[in-house]
Amino acid sequence: MIARTSPIVRLAVRAITPIALLIAAFVLFAGHNQPGGGFAAGLLLGAVIVLRTIAGLQQPRHAVLFLAVGGIIVGFEAIAPMLWGEPLLDQVVLSWEVPVLGKVKTGSALVFDLGVVAVVVGLVVALLDGFDASSLVDRGRHPVDVDRTDHDAGRPA
Amino acid sequence: MIWFLLSLFVVASATTAVFGARLGRNALWVAAIPMAATALWSLTFVGSDDVVESGFAWVPGLDVSVLFRIDALSALLSLLVAGIGALVCVYAVGYFSASAAGMGRFASTLTAFSGAMVGLVWADSVWTLFMFWELTSITSFLLVGFKNTDPVARTAARRALVITAAGGLTLLAGFVLFVDASGTAVLSEITPITGSTATAAAVLILIAAATKSAQVPFHVWLPGAMAAPTPVSAYLHSATMVKAGVILVAVIAPAFQETEVWKPLGLTFGLATMIWGSIGALRHVDAKLILAWGTVSQLGLLIALLAIGTPKATFAAMSILVAHAVFKAALFMVVGEVDVRTGTRNINELSGLRRSMPVTFAVALVCGVSMAGIPPTLGFPAKEAAIEAVQGLAGAELWLVGGLVIGGSVLTVAYTTRLLLGMFGSSEPMPDRPVSPVRPAMTTPEVVLGLATVGGFVALGWVTDVVRTATVVVSPKAEVYSLYRWPGFTDAFITSMLVVAGGLVLGALLARRVVLSGPAARGASIADALIDGLGRVARRIARRVQHGSLPLYLATTVVVLGTAAVPFVGEIDTDQLYWWDNRAEAVLVLMIVSAAIAATTVGSRLGAALVLGAVGFSVAGLFVAIGAPDLVLTQLLVETVIVVGFVLGLGRLATRFPTATRLWFVGRVAVSLLIGAAVAVALAGAASSPSGEPPILDLAESAVDEGGGNNVVNVILTDTRALDTLGEVIVLMTVAVGILTLTRKRRTRANATDAGGGDTRVPEAEAVG
Repeated sequence: MIARTSPIVRLAVRAITPIALLIAAFVLFAGHNQPGGGFAAGLLLGAVIVLRTIAGLQQPRHAVLFLAVGGIIVGFEAIAPMLWGEPLLDQVVLSWEVPVLGKVKTGSALVFDLGVVAVVVGLVVALLDGFDASSLVDRGRHPVDVDRTDHDAGRPA
Repeated sequence: MIWFLLSLFVVASATTAVFGARLGRNALWVAAIPMAATALWSLTFVGSDDVVESGFAWVPGLDVSVLFRIDALSALLSLLVAGIGALVCVYAVGYFSASAAGMGRFASTLTAFSGAMVGLVWADSVWTLFMFWELTSITSFLLVGFKNTDPVARTAARRALVITAAGGLTLLAGFVLFVDASGTAVLSEITPITGSTATAAAVLILIAAATKSAQVPFHVWLPGAMAAPTPVSAYLHSATMVKAGVILVAVIAPAFQETEVWKPLGLTFGLATMIWGSIGALRHVDAKLILAWGTVSQLGLLIALLAIGTPKATFAAMSILVAHAVFKAALFMVVGEVDVRTGTRNINELSGLRRSMPVTFAVALVCGVSMAGIPPTLGFPAKEAAIEAVQGLAGAELWLVGGLVIGGSVLTVAYTTRLLLGMFGSSEPMPDRPVSPVRPAMTTPEVVLGLATVGGFVALGWVTDVVRTATVVVSPKAEVYSLYRWPGFTDAFITSMLVVAGGLVLGALLARRVVLSGPAARGASIADALIDGLGRVARRIARRVQHGSLPLYLATTVVVLGTAAVPFVGEIDTDQLYWWDNRAEAVLVLMIVSAAIAATTVGSRLGAALVLGAVGFSVAGLFVAIGAPDLVLTQLLVETVIVVGFVLGLGRLATRFPTATRLWFVGRVAVSLLIGAAVAVALAGAASSPSGEPPILDLAESAVDEGGGNNVVNVILTDTRALDTLGEVIVLMTVAVGILTLTRKRRTRANATDAGGGDTRVPEAEAVG
């Protein structure tokens, strides 16, 4: 657990973050026609959060918020079609011309995928939170074998 | 209007729950609003041929609907339910002290109960009826257990809930069979049914009615329910909830009239209950318990009359139902008032209250006279009708049923006499018990009900009309019957006068005999013991199944799944099996297998995690070779996260696995081999027996047209099979919430130890056999 003390790791993670976010967004939007989709995008984002947590750049927080938002999106997406008489989880496909990019096609499936992304991210954050990942990082200041040494010994009582 | 009134109940219940603390006792006035409105509206339907129906399909696929139907019968019942409910609310304002706690909760549950009861009597579909039936069970549980710090009340509430909820399950089963046999769930379209299904349904529904209406041997919950505040007893255990079973039997009887079990079983329940209830009423010294046992007895009579099933008997049952609802509610109120104003309900300690509580005495006298079936009260013509109905029987049935009904009636007169003499008789004032001043809120509803008891006799023509039109709904031939103020010297009249005379003498004799305390509630303790035993057995099973060993849970799951693969063994077509599509697969499989074997033999935890990672990444490679990019992407990401998870988790565990015992090792190997073999067999079997065209072709086509995407896999996930994805999302959320709650709990505990100056580290449980 030397991540905290290694400037190389921290710098690398900071450099990777925007790229990984871009890839995640790409995977999400590409999902309908190419490999990718909400689950993959969520895992990518989750991986970014894992890296950043281990590098000590952020705390794994708001797991419940992610889960709730994702759950609401997915649940709404599932029930909404019934409001106008369509079957449960019915999809709407939209396409329109956008300058430069050409024809853009999307649909309510994208919204559904966004909900999936939020839930997956929420799960990863919950895992990190559950394993108390940030405290592992803190221990990195004293690189010792956590199994054999009482690392709290030096703490003021 | 139906929906408006029902929503009024919901609104009133919510309002009193939310603002209860601020409203205090006044919450009861809010609770009375929907009841009074319902009673007034019901009044316009009583005795008329108008019918209002309303409803909607709830689960159209299963033919389950919410249906309501207001006709003369349901309107009469809702008039009783809501009218007495409103009076009980007023009474409760006087019963509780101004500073009583929990008034919001009380008013809210009382309103909810009343609404459920109104819904029950209005229901026209068995499913609607069932829904409200269960709702009354739950709300009455809350009402009986209102004094939730009193262990007696809690045990009583639990007993009532378990018995009536068991009856609810029986009812559900009975209704399923009934709908199956009759082909309709609509109560107003009932036709007579026969056959074995009908018989089973009849038995189940009768048992359900018996639990709700406190028939022997299910009556044990009712006397215990007297632990509730008296307004609750006056409401639930006189006019409403206990009548639910009677009402059910009344409306569903036309269907079962021709089954063989209906009549004998109903008569057995009813007559046994009638006799046992009235004996119980004679043995107790607590006035409220005397009334409770009296109610049990009256319910028995009602069930017996409905089981006889002739139009005349049904008519008599309806008359008694009305009369009983009125006088029993009033008598409970009287006992409650005596209790509040003197501080005791023990008839040994009470005497001479006719001087100090004259109005209450008048009400008690009138209602007691009605209960005994003496003119000039409503109870007299009703009892008369019952005796006439029994006379209509022939042969052995006449002697048996008639004898028991007459015997029960004598006992009824006797316990009424004993109760009235005990409370109000003897002119000696009570020296050590001062009587507190009158409370108008309590006396007024009593007087209203007392006047109704006499007024019903005076305006018997109207009452006859009302009861007759109500009876005709379930028994069309009943339209020829009437209630008579003065029947003439018929056999029934002479019989009934002999009954009254016998009862008076018996009651007076028994009133002299001083019984110090009532009998122990043996039935109730047996019921409690059964309930406790059930809990113990359940706990024992839970302990056995939920042993807490993670490896054993996994092994159990895996073994069960493994056995599911057995049917696939015969499906494998060895001719279709071949080794590989391209050689890369062989190499990757070799990697997977060796890594998997390594994972079982590595001694260090970190090593095992890494080797497992190797398995996962090799599988991803295999997907590349097969040409499944979506799977590759997902597999790679999942593996990454899993490896990270392992690394984080391992930080908390010892670096090496604990040394395993030989048995554990063998077991582990066996389970691993089993799941491996099972998966292989299942896959091979499934692959060699394709059932028709692979659906992928259709899916690929529809993906572009309907799903609007070229990636079939994702269109399947988000559109074609979006319901599956929804399910998976729910699984993910459940897992996440599980992780959060489990680890939070652990951390809070760790912090607690920390605060105590101890070690912050909680040792990880190593559950290895």
